[in-house]
Amino acid sequence: MEWKGATKDKNTLSTSEEENVNKKQEELQLKVSSMAGRRALKAVLIDLSGTLHIEDTAVPGAQEALNRLRQASVAVKFVTNTTKESKRNLLERLQRLNFDLQEKEIFTSLSAARSLLEQKQHRPLLLVEDSALEDFTGINTTEPNAVVIGLAPDHFNYQTLNKAFRMILDGAPLIAIHKARYYKRKDGLALGPGPFVTGLEYATDCKATVVGKPEKTFFTQALSDLGCSPNEAVMIGDDARDDVGGAQNTGMLGILVRTGKYREGDENKINPPPHLTCDSFPDAVEHILKNLL
Amino acid sequence: MADTGWPGCAKSLKGVILDMCGVLYDSGEGDGVAIHGSVEAVKKLKASDLQLRFCTNETQASRETFVAKLQRLGFDISVSEVFSPAPAAVAVLKDRCLRPHLLVYDGLLPEFDSVDKTNPNCVVIGDAAEKFSYQNLNDAFRVLIGLEKPVLFSLGQGRYYKETDGLKLDVGVYMKALEYACDLKAEVIGKPSPTFFQSVLNDMGLQPHEALMIGDDLVNDVGGAQHCGMKGVQVRTGKYRPSDEKHPTVTADGTCGQPGSGCGHDPQSEALSTP
Repeated sequence: MEWKGATKDKNTLSTSEEENVNKKQEELQLKVSSMAGRRALKAVLIDLSGTLHIEDTAVPGAQEALNRLRQASVAVKFVTNTTKESKRNLLERLQRLNFDLQEKEIFTSLSAARSLLEQKQHRPLLLVEDSALEDFTGINTTEPNAVVIGLAPDHFNYQTLNKAFRMILDGAPLIAIHKARYYKRKDGLALGPGPFVTGLEYATDCKATVVGKPEKTFFTQALSDLGCSPNEAVMIGDDARDDVGGAQNTGMLGILVRTGKYREGDENKINPPPHLTCDSFPDAVEHILKNLL
Repeated sequence: MADTGWPGCAKSLKGVILDMCGVLYDSGEGDGVAIHGSVEAVKKLKASDLQLRFCTNETQASRETFVAKLQRLGFDISVSEVFSPAPAAVAVLKDRCLRPHLLVYDGLLPEFDSVDKTNPNCVVIGDAAEKFSYQNLNDAFRVLIGLEKPVLFSLGQGRYYKETDGLKLDVGVYMKALEYACDLKAEVIGKPSPTFFQSVLNDMGLQPHEALMIGDDLVNDVGGAQHCGMKGVQVRTGKYRPSDEKHPTVTADGTCGQPGSGCGHDPQSEALSTP
């Protein structure tokens, strides 16, 4: 195949000219191969905490970047692994920070769990924080035949876990919102849902279905109502493994931003590496507007 | 040539190790119930030339307490003949100069009276039942995650056990939880750990091939004993299930007794009467 721009036969080039041509060929090759098999970009998934904002401070320029992205003809969804906050809580915080978004554009690991429950018509025993129950309104929870575990310290007592254990032994599927080992609280580190899910898997000799990032299901569920497939979408996030790695495993492109929990060298921790690593969300948007549409 | 199969090998046996719950008695209301024939069988064993020890993964009560319970049920048994995880753990802690953060049932605490528990540099978990609250588990987790070289001891690794009001999660479940949280591997003290069986053999002054383990748990009692070179016989009481006799990885050297009734007689009788 003839590359555009490679006008001279290599044998007639000087060494530095040859280097330039090689470099240009490589760049073009990268662009084409990453675009090969890819259809036009239809959707952008954006992580929240660490990517658009850090606690109660927006990432500089993020609001404008989001507005510019919206002017392009792509669908946008905001995705997060929270298990404690309802969509409404998240929306309120983001609006306070002047981000332009709607509740229906937010997709959380709780939404992923809900999607799965509806799909399989399970009636869940919900071991989730009260503040998260709101996202399950409308789901029938009488005579439960499935166990859903989120971050719920109040429910991780011996009695409730025994109840969940006996249900799983009787055949109820075990659904984990995610398997985080621990998280940071004001008073120090605290056990996440992961340890309890692992314990129940051991007790019952069963495997849990995990619905949060970096599971494939999370990403496919997030894209499902946008009517686009993974190779028409890109994910922007600060977590190399959970955001970028997870998205790329599903067939999406992943852009790693150097904000939030990013640490030097994170881009080398996943294989394949991120499609792009850039300083922050506004840079990611620039790249998309310039190269991926 | 010596017969190495059961029951012929009984001729070369010099010692018997008996599991307790499910072999000697069934737990339940109050003291529980002695399994038919077991009291007499223990008497017979003691009257013979065979050495006798008792081995259990019980960690809700101290040895003194559950030995007293068995004596009330009519058994001739004393604390020095009983091997359980807590004293084995205490020996390990002292040997390695470790100070434990304990997450165990209140009834087990007396076993650790002689151990320095200040400024803990390891965690010990037992069958803590209702004490496995989020708060208590978090406290144990924080000790481990704060250590440069975290060490977690688990008194046994059972998945669940049967009680009168249904199945309940056992210590192994919480061991796995903490292993996952801290990305470490726990050290199991108690059956089926080879060190545990070896400590019983050492006390009897016997080689593994000179001893026989009788238990109801195919994997932890019988399998664990065989792994150390002992013979293992399963009784058809306690945890026994007919499917145990077709287990994929463990084959007992012998299975005895009628389901639900005492096995006590059989191995001892065969051991004593085989010419």
